[in-house]
Amino acid sequence: MMEPAERALFARTLGAATEERSGAALDAALLELGWRDALTDDPRAAVSVLFEHLGRTASTSTALDDVLADALGAGVGADVAMVYPALGRAEPPADEDGGRLVVKGLGTARLLRAGTALVVARGPGGDVGTTVKTAGLRVRPVLGMDPGLELAEVAGTATSASPPSSLRPGAWSEAVSRGRLAVGHQLVGASAAMLELARRHALDRVQFGRTIAAFQAVRHRLADTLVAIESARALLDEAWDDSRAETAAMAKAVSGGAARAAARHCQQVLAGIGFTTEHPLHRYVRRVLVLDELLGSSRSLTAELGRDVLARRRLPSPIPL
Amino acid sequence: MELPEFRATLDRWLDEHAADLAPDRSLGTLDEHMAQLAKVKRLAYDAGFMRFGWPERVGGLGGSPLLRAYLGEALTARDLVEPGIYSMTETLAPTMIDHASPALAAAMVPRLLSGDETWCQGFSEPGTGSNLAALACRAVEDGDGWRVTGQKVWTSLAQYAQRCVLLVRTGPLDVAHRGITALFVDMESPGIAVRPIETMHGAPEFCEVFFDDVAVPAGRMLGHEGQGWSVAMDLLPYERSTALWHKAAYLQRRLGDLVEAVADHALDPVQVGETVQLLAAFRARSRATAHRLAAGERLGPETSVDKVLVARAEQAVFDLVEAGLASDVLLEEDAAASRWRSEYLFSRAATIYGGTEEIQRNIIARRLLDLGDDR
Repeated sequence: MMEPAERALFARTLGAATEERSGAALDAALLELGWRDALTDDPRAAVSVLFEHLGRTASTSTALDDVLADALGAGVGADVAMVYPALGRAEPPADEDGGRLVVKGLGTARLLRAGTALVVARGPGGDVGTTVKTAGLRVRPVLGMDPGLELAEVAGTATSASPPSSLRPGAWSEAVSRGRLAVGHQLVGASAAMLELARRHALDRVQFGRTIAAFQAVRHRLADTLVAIESARALLDEAWDDSRAETAAMAKAVSGGAARAAARHCQQVLAGIGFTTEHPLHRYVRRVLVLDELLGSSRSLTAELGRDVLARRRLPSPIPL
Repeated sequence: MELPEFRATLDRWLDEHAADLAPDRSLGTLDEHMAQLAKVKRLAYDAGFMRFGWPERVGGLGGSPLLRAYLGEALTARDLVEPGIYSMTETLAPTMIDHASPALAAAMVPRLLSGDETWCQGFSEPGTGSNLAALACRAVEDGDGWRVTGQKVWTSLAQYAQRCVLLVRTGPLDVAHRGITALFVDMESPGIAVRPIETMHGAPEFCEVFFDDVAVPAGRMLGHEGQGWSVAMDLLPYERSTALWHKAAYLQRRLGDLVEAVADHALDPVQVGETVQLLAAFRARSRATAHRLAAGERLGPETSVDKVLVARAEQAVFDLVEAGLASDVLLEEDAAASRWRSEYLFSRAATIYGGTEEIQRNIIARRLLDLGDDR
């Protein structure tokens, strides 16, 4: 566990790194700053600090690969490239039978560079983890809504480089939960950045002889944005206190919903300037749409939660006071 | 006593005394709810639980406010008390402890905790709903005391109350909040008339209270003359921490009751998921707030976020009730249906009482987002 002073220093240095760098340069800086040691030593502090900064700055990193690899016990010493489920999904991104894998999913920029990828697959006897050569797979750089996120799409059939190892039950779900918390923090960071952009604009922009921050219609949109962000923060905190997958899923869903609300309200307050590429808002709007879909969208997670509650006729039991 | 030990001891006591604590008959009318509240408080006070989390100088047994938070949660989760009427204790005892003379607080607070007395909070007036600082109920100095004349409205439980924490104007109207003083008034004083208001949910818990030249001794002033606004503001963090935590336990219980009772396919899974998430987010926020209070942090305008969240969660829960149990809420007359109907209707007021949602959003904009004045 990090001491408070250590944590504050970590937050400052990571904050500076994410502001100054993005992509491969940021990943190199993170390695140098000891991000992976921090991740194994104090995952809560490391993940919440780094991903909130990634959200705030809209910088790009492949650090999510480390988060899932660490949660799967694959070790974070190596540059492991993870394969993620396709958009809006959360089950393992491959099916395995006799060492043959049918893969369909997403990856970070690491997948474009690395010769191998870590794939979790559903096998006949349960989930397995294995390393596959990327050369035999179709790996395509994703541009789409948010080219800056540097995602890759991967599909194809591969043969396991070594015999697949069985994962204990729940291992994939735990890794997904950890990833959901990371992306949740990133969504909250991005939402906070959008709110600050809109707040600044509301205080600067004068219409009808006063700043638009004086208009209640504007104030209430921004207040609602803060309420949404604080809801997400509260659930993310609770999910770290609680190890259950359903709490992490709720935290991810609420973070995604908050980010969509932040994008809608802040874009409206920023109005014309926020619609231009001269203003940074569009980068956040693009990013949160993609992040919300990664590892399960707010929409799909919410429906799944509702179906579970109705099927069990019981609410998720909350953690005690 | 620490929370884990308190939790275990209290849970055991609640199990062992379940029969004594249960309502004597089914709870329908407000009279029945008030009698049940008094009974439960008395039993919990005699067993010591109601005294934990309160300072020794007012008859408490000390310990963290988390103990109070858990007590109300446990009582609410077991459906032994209704959290709205229970919340007066959580709101008004701290006000007395912080602002009454030590002798008055020591004499009065135990009566509230033990269930011997009910207290009410005389803030809103016909002309001042959201704009509380413009209140006009006037107190003038008269020898060694005050004489109060004016009217309050939306005063919860005034018809049951022995005492009232009352905001009055002692200075000129044009200095707004600086001319307000807080008094602790005996409701049996000559000159007070109480008229319960019939509301759409069917329980007359709000009242109009009329003051006609009511004498209040000087020793009944809370804080100093002209400082009533800060007495009122100091009360809000209590209203929005422990008391809201109790509300979370209540909403959790009722939403749980709904998903047990509802027919197959009567509810939209997405609406269920959204409601469960809203409630979970409110509960997580309130849990953090309870821990901040227990750590001695000074709570302030950020509790407006808690207030916005509780109101949205409550309305979402009862929107779901109305969707899933439509025939109960709309047509039936049995006790369970009447209760769902009354609760549904009461939930419509959640964005109105205790500071409207609009006022909360104004506070968030001005105090938390630093957007400056809106005028």
